[in-house]
Amino acid sequence: MAIDGWVIIVDENRAGGMLDAARRLGGRVTAAVAGRRDLAKRAAGMGFDRVLCWESADGVPPEAYAAAMAERAAQEAPRLVLASDAPPARVLLGAAAAALNAALVASVRAVAAAGEKIVVSRAAAEGKVLEDIAVSGALAGIFDGDDAEQRGGAAVTVEIVPAEAGAALRVLSTEAESGAAGLLTAARVVGVGLGLRARDDLQIIEKLAAAMGAETACTLPVCDDMRWFASHSVVGSSHSRIAPDLYIALGISGQPQHMSGVRDAKVVVAVNSDPEARIFKNCDYGIVGDLYKIVPVLTAAFAASKNP
Amino acid sequence: MKIVVVFKWARNPLDARVSADAAISWPGVKLAASDDDPAAMEIAAALAAGDEVVGLTIGDGDTAWAAARGAARTVVVTDAPGETDSAATGAALAAAVRRMTGVGAVLIGDSAWDYAVVSALAGRLGWPAVAGVTAACPERGELRVTRRLGAATQALSAAGPVVLAVTANRAEKNVPGMKEVLAARKKPVEKITAADLNTASRYQVQTQGVRFPDTPPARIIDGGDPPTACEQLIAALRTDGVI
Ligand SMILES: Cc1cc2nc3c(=O)[nH]c(=O)nc-3n(C[C@H](O)[C@H](O)[C@H](O)COP(=O)(O)OP(=O)(O)OC[C@H]3O[C@@H](n4cnc5c(N)ncnc54)[C@H](O)[C@@H]3O)c2cc1C
Ligand SMILES: Cc1cc2nc3c(=O)[nH]c(=O)nc-3n(C[C@H](O)[C@H](O)[C@H](O)COP(=O)(O)OP(=O)(O)OC[C@H]3O[C@@H](n4cnc5c(N)ncnc54)[C@H](O)[C@@H]3O)c2cc1C
Repeated sequence: MAIDGWVIIVDENRAGGMLDAARRLGGRVTAAVAGRRDLAKRAAGMGFDRVLCWESADGVPPEAYAAAMAERAAQEAPRLVLASDAPPARVLLGAAAAALNAALVASVRAVAAAGEKIVVSRAAAEGKVLEDIAVSGALAGIFDGDDAEQRGGAAVTVEIVPAEAGAALRVLSTEAESGAAGLLTAARVVGVGLGLRARDDLQIIEKLAAAMGAETACTLPVCDDMRWFASHSVVGSSHSRIAPDLYIALGISGQPQHMSGVRDAKVVVAVNSDPEARIFKNCDYGIVGDLYKIVPVLTAAFAASKNP
Repeated sequence: MKIVVVFKWARNPLDARVSADAAISWPGVKLAASDDDPAAMEIAAALAAGDEVVGLTIGDGDTAWAAARGAARTVVVTDAPGETDSAATGAALAAAVRRMTGVGAVLIGDSAWDYAVVSALAGRLGWPAVAGVTAACPERGELRVTRRLGAATQALSAAGPVVLAVTANRAEKNVPGMKEVLAARKKPVEKITAADLNTASRYQVQTQGVRFPDTPPARIIDGGDPPTACEQLIAALRTDGVI
C-alpha cells in the first residue's frame, strides 16, 4: 500500500533526509513549507512530488501558520507527517498531529510500511538502541535521522497557500550571533573541552587548527567556567549546532548536550585519555591518549599532508 | 498572569542500561525532572508577577517539585499515559489545562529527552506556541519572548494565552533546600484521572521490540605511540575523503 506523507519544512536542515525517509512508504511526498518563497523553491528542486508554501509575511514567524497548515493537513489526511527538531517545525508538527489525531513520536530515525501499518524506528536510551513501533493510524514524527543530499531533477511548481497568520505571534528582532558565522559554515572544526589544563595551552590547539585550516569551538564549561572562549564558540544543544566534514574533539567527555551539536558532522574524531570516556561510543575514530602528546604530532601530520 | 507549569518525571536516558540483546533497563535509576523544567519554573515565577502559578504533572512523581519552586498548588493526572505515544500524554495535559480558568500561559521544559510531549500539548491546546524559549517578560500587555533559532537569537511578541517551551543552558542554580521542600509538601495537590478529563486514550501504537542500530562502532586507536596513532588516523581520514 502506498502511504502519502508530508514533510514540514522551516529550514533546509534534514529536509533531504526526511524526503528519503517518507519515500520509503511508497506514496506521494509533499513538502509543507512555512517561510520564505525561496525556501519553498529550494524544496521544489529537491525532488518532492509537490510543494505547498505558507509564505511568511515580514515579521511573521512560521508558527503563526500552525492552524492554517493543520487545517490543510486535515483535508488531505496524509498518514505520515515528519518535521525536524527546529523549534518552529515542532510547533507546526504538533498542530498537524492534533488535526490528524496522529500518534506523536520523537527521535524518529526511519519509517517503513508493514501492510496497513507504519513501523517507525526511534532512538532510545540516548541513541544506543532503536525501538520499532507499529502505528495503526496516522503518525507525526520528529525526525532525528541522517540528512541526505538530494540531487533533485525537474523542479515542481510551488503552490502558495493563502492563509491567515493571526496576530498572536510576531517577530520583533532577529540577531545572528556575531562571530559564529565562520564556525557555522566551517568544513573542519577543532573542539576543546576541560581536558585542556590552562588557557596558555590553547596555543597548541590554535596551531593544530591552523595546520588543518579549521575553526575552533569548545564545550560549555570551557566558556562559562574557564572563560577561554566567547559563547558563540560553544557547540551543543543549548548553543550552536554545526555540520563540518571533520570535527576533532580534544579532551571532551562527550555529554549528549555537547554531542547533539555535532550530530550532523560527517566524521567525528575524539582524543581522550580515558578509555571509558562516553565520547568513544559516539565518534567515528577515537585516539585513547593524552591530548598534550597527540596534538603536536597531529599538527605536524596535518601540515605534512598539506605540503607533501 | 496565571501560569501553568508542566513538569515531567523521567529517567535520564544516559542512565539506561542496555543489555546484550538491546533490552533497556533502569537499575536503581530514579525519575527526575530534566534541566529544562527549573528554567521553565523560573520564567513562570517572573511572568506571574504575584499571580498564581500552578504545577501540572502526570503519574506518581514528587508532587512538591513545582511547589518548592514557587507554585501555589499542583494538579496531577494520576493515570495519564506517559509512554510511547506522546499524543495521548499531550491530550491529557491539554485537557487538564483547559479545566482551569484564566490561564495566560503554559510553560513546559523543552525537554531534549523527549520533544514530542511539547508538540503534542501545544497542538492539542491549539494556542500560539513557541519552543526553544530562553527568556520571557511582560511588555505592553503582551509577552516578549526570546528564543534561540540556530545561531541566532530572536525576540517575538506573543499575545493571548500561549504555550512556551523553555530550554535551559545550564543546570539549576538555586536548588530548593529542605525548608522549601517541607513547606511545599503542605501546599494543595489535586489528583485527577483521565476519566475526569474525558481523555481515556486509545492506543494507536504498539512497540515491536528493540534492537541495536546498524552503525558500526568507532574505530579506537591506541595513542600510546602518538606518531603511529596519528599516521593511522590521517590514513583513515584520507580514505573517508574528508582530507
Ligand atoms: C541545561 C544544560 C545545557 C548544556 N548545554 C551544553 C552545550 O550546549 N554545549 C556543551 O558543550 N555543554 C553543554 N552543557 C554541559 C554538558 O552537560 C557537559 O557538562 C559539558 O559538555 C562537558 O564538557 P567537557 O567535555 O569539556 O568536560 P568534562 O566532562 O569534564 O570532560 C573532560 C574530558 O577530558 C578528558 N581529559 C582530561 N585530561 C585529558 C588529557 N590530557 N588528554 C585527553 N583528554 C583528557 C577527560 O577524560 C574527560 O573525558 C549543558 C549542561 C546543561 C545542564
Ligand atoms: C508531564 C509528565 C510527567 C510524568 N510523570 C511521571 C511519573 O510521575 N512517573 C512515571 O513513572 N512516569 C512519568 N512520566 C513518564 C516518564 O517520563 C516516562 O516516559 C515513563 O516513565 C516511561 O518510561 P519508560 O522508561 O518505560 O519509557 P521511556 O522513557 O520511553 O523509555 C525509553 C525507551 O525504552 C523502551 N523500553 C522501556 N521499557 C522497555 C522494556 N521493558 N523492553 C523494551 N523496551 C523498553 C521504551 O519503549 C523507550 O523506547 C511523565 C511524563 C510526563 C510528560
